[in-house]
Amino acid sequence: MILLRALVALAILWTTNAHADINLLKENKCDQCHRVSISDDEKNEAPDLFYAGEKFQESWLREFLTNPNNIRPNGYSGRNDFPKAIEPKAHPALNAKVADAVANVLLTLKLQPAGKSIEFGEPLTRGKKVRAKILFERNFSCSACHKGINLARKPHGGVSGPSLFNAGNRLQQQWIFDWLKSPEKYRKKGRMPRFQLDDETAIKLVKYIMTLKKENMK
Amino acid sequence: MTKTWQKIFGLSFLLLFTNTACTSDTEESALNEPPPIVAEPPAAEPYVPAPEEAKPVQVTQKTRDTYQWYCSQCHGVEGKGDGMNALHLAVPPRNHTKADYLGTRTNQHLFDAIKLGGLAVGRAPCMPAWGNTLADEEITGLVNYIRELCQCEGA
Repeated sequence: MILLRALVALAILWTTNAHADINLLKENKCDQCHRVSISDDEKNEAPDLFYAGEKFQESWLREFLTNPNNIRPNGYSGRNDFPKAIEPKAHPALNAKVADAVANVLLTLKLQPAGKSIEFGEPLTRGKKVRAKILFERNFSCSACHKGINLARKPHGGVSGPSLFNAGNRLQQQWIFDWLKSPEKYRKKGRMPRFQLDDETAIKLVKYIMTLKKENMK
Repeated sequence: MTKTWQKIFGLSFLLLFTNTACTSDTEESALNEPPPIVAEPPAAEPYVPAPEEAKPVQVTQKTRDTYQWYCSQCHGVEGKGDGMNALHLAVPPRNHTKADYLGTRTNQHLFDAIKLGGLAVGRAPCMPAWGNTLADEEITGLVNYIRELCQCEGA
């Protein structure tokens, strides 16, 4: 009985905390452009954040919030006027203390239930990386819309999708995998083509994307 | 010995790749475009527009919206091949308002290029396959829309 009460108390504490957490994001106006909860109305100004905790790497997120850079040079593709390439508003920079608190909340936001956990193994060797690059650029045409890193180690590629030239520092590999396999879990309709990838191919693409890091550029 | 082979293998991959990637600075267009015309072809019969009763296919608003949502990223909002990605691609996206090339393609070819991607039909690999995103009817709608844009018929 005591245990049950304790559990109930814990559950209440947890829900109120979760609520307070989302409120912190609202206090900082994150919800004016982003969806911070899956129950929010669809917003098209900026990417959804209700799964930020499974999407972003912690160190990248903390850095971004204090010192944001532009990942989508033409704005978020969810916008209806997106193809007209209107210059987006810059993301506000938060002061270190607020950024820390906001990041703490964002890192707890996960889509439930998570996809099956994948064993990605070692990073790609050089030979395998070349083959995965062919998948990325040629077979699946990713670089038509996403900036990656070319053979001269310069950022290179299209600009309608979010830039991936630093994706290896920005994204979690499990999230990239889940996104590639079933993007509709995250958003009803995106502008990216869907592919029916088998796990093996998806893993190769994920591991290739994870090699895209700004420190690997010239 | 194995090292040498590895090198040759790696190099051939590299070569394959540099010649075939979508956005590397390659002569992809030269590979895929029809050979340049070295001499003027003999004067063809004068072009006679198709008679009116050739029933232009109605393009629905839904099809136009689909084009705006997906295709315009590369092919532009008016289909002129000037979408936001255009300047970043080694092979420029097709201008859908120009009949000179599209008039030489069958509707089936356009359908396959959309459904299976550029690579599958011997064109630029920048064009992804949309067959898992769009239903066949939607793709057929897009082919009809391209025909409206180019004011041309399938070969």
